Amino acid sequence: MSDSIGKNHPRRDAEDKLRGRTMFTVDTDTGLMLHAALRRSEVPSGRIVSMNLEPARQMPGVRAVVSAPDAPGMYGVMVADHPLFAVDEIRYYGEPLAAVAAETIEQAQAAAEAIEVIIEERPPLLTMAEALAHGAPELHPDWRDYELLAGEGARKGNVSWESTVVRGDVDGAFARDDVTIVETLFRSGRQNQTPLEPRAVIAHVERDRVVITTSTQFPWSVKSGVARMLGIQPADVRVLVPAVGGGFGMKWEMSLEPFAALLARDSGQPVKLVNSRQEEMQTALCRENAEIRIRSAVTASGEIVGREGFVLLDCGAYSGEQPFLASMVTHTLFGSYKLGSARLVSQAIYTNTPPNGAFRACCGTYCVAALERHTDEICAQLDFDRYEFRRQNVLGDGDLGPTGDVFEGDVLGPMLEEMVALRERSTRHQPANDRLLYGTSTTVGTWFILVGPSAATVNLNPDGTATLVTAGVEIGSGSTMQAIPQIVADVLQIPISDVTVREADTDAGGYDGGVGGGRTTVSLGAAGSRAAAEVKRKMLEVAADMLEAAPGDLKLEDGNVVVDGIPSLSVTIKEVAAHAQSNGGPISGSGSFTGTGNVGMVGCAAGHYIGALDLPVFAVHECDVAVDRDTGHVTVLDYRVVQDVGRAINPRAILGQVQGGVIQGLGYALHEEVTFDHLGKSHQQGFETYRVPLAGDAVPVQLEVYEGAPSMGPLGVKGAGEVPILNVAAAVSCAVADAIGRTVSEIPLTPPRVLGLILERDGADVELPHVATVWRDAVVADAQQLLAVAPR
Amino acid sequence: MTTELTVNGNLRRVHNPPMTPLARVLREDLHLTGTKLACGEGFCGSCTVFVDGDAKASCLIALGTVAGSSVRTVESMASPRGPLAPVQQAMKDMDAVQCGMCFPGVLASLTALLDEVSHPDRQQVEGALVGNICRCTGYERIVQAVLGIDRTANPADQTGAGA
Repeated sequence: MSDSIGKNHPRRDAEDKLRGRTMFTVDTDTGLMLHAALRRSEVPSGRIVSMNLEPARQMPGVRAVVSAPDAPGMYGVMVADHPLFAVDEIRYYGEPLAAVAAETIEQAQAAAEAIEVIIEERPPLLTMAEALAHGAPELHPDWRDYELLAGEGARKGNVSWESTVVRGDVDGAFARDDVTIVETLFRSGRQNQTPLEPRAVIAHVERDRVVITTSTQFPWSVKSGVARMLGIQPADVRVLVPAVGGGFGMKWEMSLEPFAALLARDSGQPVKLVNSRQEEMQTALCRENAEIRIRSAVTASGEIVGREGFVLLDCGAYSGEQPFLASMVTHTLFGSYKLGSARLVSQAIYTNTPPNGAFRACCGTYCVAALERHTDEICAQLDFDRYEFRRQNVLGDGDLGPTGDVFEGDVLGPMLEEMVALRERSTRHQPANDRLLYGTSTTVGTWFILVGPSAATVNLNPDGTATLVTAGVEIGSGSTMQAIPQIVADVLQIPISDVTVREADTDAGGYDGGVGGGRTTVSLGAAGSRAAAEVKRKMLEVAADMLEAAPGDLKLEDGNVVVDGIPSLSVTIKEVAAHAQSNGGPISGSGSFTGTGNVGMVGCAAGHYIGALDLPVFAVHECDVAVDRDTGHVTVLDYRVVQDVGRAINPRAILGQVQGGVIQGLGYALHEEVTFDHLGKSHQQGFETYRVPLAGDAVPVQLEVYEGAPSMGPLGVKGAGEVPILNVAAAVSCAVADAIGRTVSEIPLTPPRVLGLILERDGADVELPHVATVWRDAVVADAQQLLAVAPR
Repeated sequence: MTTELTVNGNLRRVHNPPMTPLARVLREDLHLTGTKLACGEGFCGSCTVFVDGDAKASCLIALGTVAGSSVRTVESMASPRGPLAPVQQAMKDMDAVQCGMCFPGVLASLTALLDEVSHPDRQQVEGALVGNICRCTGYERIVQAVLGIDRTANPADQTGAGA
């Protein structure tokens, strides 16, 4: 038996990181390289009247200066609407206008400053309300001409993408005389990932190819994106990724890489480009701010017969991830519960703010918060017990999901029961004095594993060890450096330390859909498992020859190939590897994996990149808070999590992810928010003003892993690193509402906001007049057509 | 202009302008990239090193002010082939490390604490980390690791980089 699975194995990369010898991209210095700086816009909206690069070219040490004509074309995730440099139009404060490479960073910065730019400023549209106002100018007047890169969604003016769901007779449900209609508003702030390693890249040219060393989560996306922006073949771009100093989704999309590549190509020298902290604060691809209206028709017996939702996601100046996330609203805001009928419109809105991106559980965080606040308001208005209502209504085996897909397995129900058990055996703190208002919450959430293509190769080395080759990146979660080799070691029945992991390199590892979306352990794990299985099959064939036995009679056991039932007849894996060298050749295996592509019920979802979840993942969170009635300050007393992990292959590593994700979520729920001044410049230009949780803010999270839910992952695993943040804003918002006895419709719950609610100050309640109330009026697609094709 | 300072026990001469942040000198001139420079404003703590025995944010220290000083970085906490310092070992044993960017600074702050208080309580550990941002771990493992260090094992090794 292998001891690879289900044990608390230590991380192989910890000691280097503790000794300070891990080389992150920011640490890499070839000695001969140039340093680059970007000239960025200092207005949020305007027309470039003229730009003169000559002064920069005359500056000392400057070797290359590039701008829009050097990188024609556009990129994006779903819609190619994003030029590398602003072309004529400036759409956000911080938008790149030109890039400079020089011998020192100071020279590059000075030269970038020397570029002469004349801009005709325009009044910016800094909020979604402004962008949707009647007569508002279009940020992208040419939107009709943009190339669609994936999927198809309705678009119009400042609505960069629309996703809709229609299932069943919602109008009929809301018109019933036996229902109560409950409506909830929710508004969430923009959250910056702030990984400690900023985005950083080094590019050079080698044998007419661009070689990029970068801090990314998705090497193959950088490869294709850089090729697109440089007008070369993807094959002519190689991407290498050393240890990544945190990503949390921000490094999912390509960002700085093409600038360095262009400058390296023009200068003929390696070029390093690193964002300053200030640039990271201004231009991080944040979790988008959002505004939500959700209403439900609920019977007196607690059946949700109809649900309707209106969601606006702020994509910033370019659409990026948000068209994809608009459709993920469906699976989160309309997830978790059985719905008799459902109708949703979710729109990604262009504004003159920096483009947003992906952040751990993305739109799920605020959708679950809105949904769970809504659920508690339903319970309050109809006098249901909050736990029992959830227990009655959560999706179970065979129930229909939001787009009519059939859910497999009873998961959320048993998880709620596990939570009761966890609560009962946990120590619970009480508020220290009677100035503190006590509140508690129970929340459920649905997220998903972004399955999708992954490839892996496993080489059996002559010494009997194995090397795992993939394009998987280690971003800090341990999934690439620890979880995948654990799975490979289990298949080959060798010690985990005998599996060497090749760092991500697109010249070595086959295609992979990126480290994010909880997919690493599932997709790369499955590919690695299959590659190892091929190695195992070949090993058994070679051993069969050596032992004069049939391969079917052999098994792997503790580094040996043994004839089943005759332990004395065996060879070591090392001997098998050595034998293969001269008999048939060295052994290697390849494996691949992708999702099933579940789409849900025909006619239900429009504008969805993912029509239904291939692999859902569930979480139940509880939070106890104490709210200071005099200051509005929220103290989290205790935090409990039951998380669906499929199977826990390294329980201690999972707890590490849950603790980290929950604390990141507490920052989001309580104090982290990116806001802008009238110029679209972020008020938060560093860690002094953007307050992330510190050690004194953290609470120890009580975790119960829930195993056994259906999963297509190897050994039944699901990704465990993304989902811990999913319910946190929900759990905190619901607990605070419980404590203060007021409707909570907004995060972060800063002390002034909470105090405003307690004191019932004017303006404390969220109002969203620009978020539609009538579905037919809100959709930019043809509403009649959507209704006509929808299943009744 | 030449500045002399002792770094990890070795006399070093560097030739940067006196206002150059010490963190940049360590990273770019002396190639001691264990010291991180994640914010440059003294708020994240990833650049924390020992200067004449005190843990300080090296991004805020001008080179000219530390001429003749003794600087110790994470690279000197344990000899390259030797065992980890107890606080490093505790982090490894507790599986506290994730992305790892904050740890060089975290280790410096905790070493300073342990130099002063041999058996810190939870509040003291949290207090010692007030200047260190970790975005990955949620801190709990780090705190638990410190609280669990067996101070009786080898008292001579306890001082780490602060020596």
